Amino acid sequence: MKKVFRTLALLALTCSIGATAQASTPEEDLKAFQDFFAKRFPNVETQDFVNGAYSIDPVGRENWEAIEEFPPYEPFIDDGMTMWETPFANGKTYKDCFPDGPAMKGKYPYWNKEKGMVITLELALNQCREANGEKPLKYKKGPINNIVSYVASESRGQVTNVEIPKDDPRALQAYENGKKFYYARRGQLNFSCSHCHLQNAGMILRTEVLSPAIGHTTHFPVYRSKWGTVGTLHRRFTGCNKQVRAKPFKAHGEEYRNLEYFLTYMSNGLPLNGPGARK
Amino acid sequence: MHKKLILLLTLLAAIVCGGTTTTLLADEASMAKVQKLIDAADAARKEAASVGGEWRDTGKMIKKAKKLLKKGDYTAAAKLANDAAKQGHLGYEQAMSQKDLKMPSYLHY
Ligand code: HEC
Repeated sequence: MKKVFRTLALLALTCSIGATAQASTPEEDLKAFQDFFAKRFPNVETQDFVNGAYSIDPVGRENWEAIEEFPPYEPFIDDGMTMWETPFANGKTYKDCFPDGPAMKGKYPYWNKEKGMVITLELALNQCREANGEKPLKYKKGPINNIVSYVASESRGQVTNVEIPKDDPRALQAYENGKKFYYARRGQLNFSCSHCHLQNAGMILRTEVLSPAIGHTTHFPVYRSKWGTVGTLHRRFTGCNKQVRAKPFKAHGEEYRNLEYFLTYMSNGLPLNGPGARK
Repeated sequence: MHKKLILLLTLLAAIVCGGTTTTLLADEASMAKVQKLIDAADAARKEAASVGGEWRDTGKMIKKAKKLLKKGDYTAAAKLANDAAKQGHLGYEQAMSQKDLKMPSYLHY
């Protein structure tokens, strides 16, 4: 065990050589990020990165295409539609909070100036419930996944287009904090998100092909065979933090909200294709 | 015969009770010592958490150390508490070392 840590520490040292802190704009970040993957996987169409590891793993892709013929997330969409249409105890429905209807995933996450924070879809749904005297849903497991599956399915084809409003410096700060989170080493194993999903994208970790970070947010929520159910993006964040033996953060707390803000911005221009299915 | 038996029992009682008192005293000392280690570990864990650097298992290790302490397994409890404290310190240092953004060199601007 000690040896492993020493090797990892050494790796940490070599990796940090050449790393610089640079003040770059979100637009420059986006370009560098998407260029990196275009060069790394020259045979993959940019739009196909929405399919995660299956955009770069032909064998996995075949299995997945077979699964998609009878999508395992379909019952969740149906239950979500029922939730959307069922009135709260006060007689109102989700539609009263979201008059434009359920095809709204493309609007999230967004910077809310009055509240001074990033609003995610799950947060907005729970705010709607609370405003109508209902209990908020739990963020990682359970019925939140139904309603989010329904919204995702209705929003298919919308294009990721996260904005960082220039008239509020706190929005840029939230983005920067999410970015810092993404590139920061963490946990006993001393890995950052970027170590697995940029630097080592396409490599195999245990039995899984590490997916490229571009397109990471387009298909959520996701039916994962390992979970045996649909799960949210923040549940995935939790799992990836635990994997490197870091204590995960609160779902839809500030850290993960800012992380989602940054990570979704990095997929700007890619179509929404949720819910997805993964191994 | 009767007297002898009473004497013997008294002696025995004295030995047993005396023995218990000394072990009790020793127990209290070790318990307090290990409790201190556990408190220190928890303080280290909280310091790491205050900068977002807490590791996954530190809290669990502290909980387990507390259980072992209750059971009287001081050696194991002390070892776990020390390991947890080390994790707390390392997690804190790690987070501090990552305070400034470090963009990887393979991203080209
Ligand atoms: C030790 C390597 C490792 C690290 C570090 C890591 N992940 Fe992952 N991640 C995985 C593996 C393995 C999977 C499952 C296979 C895949 O899709 O890449 C995964 C999957 C994901 C997915 C789902 C991809 C999909 O197509 O459904 C997202 C999103 C994700 N990770 C985000 C993150 C974020 C954000 C971080 C940093 C907090 C992170 N990961 C850190 C290994 C890692």
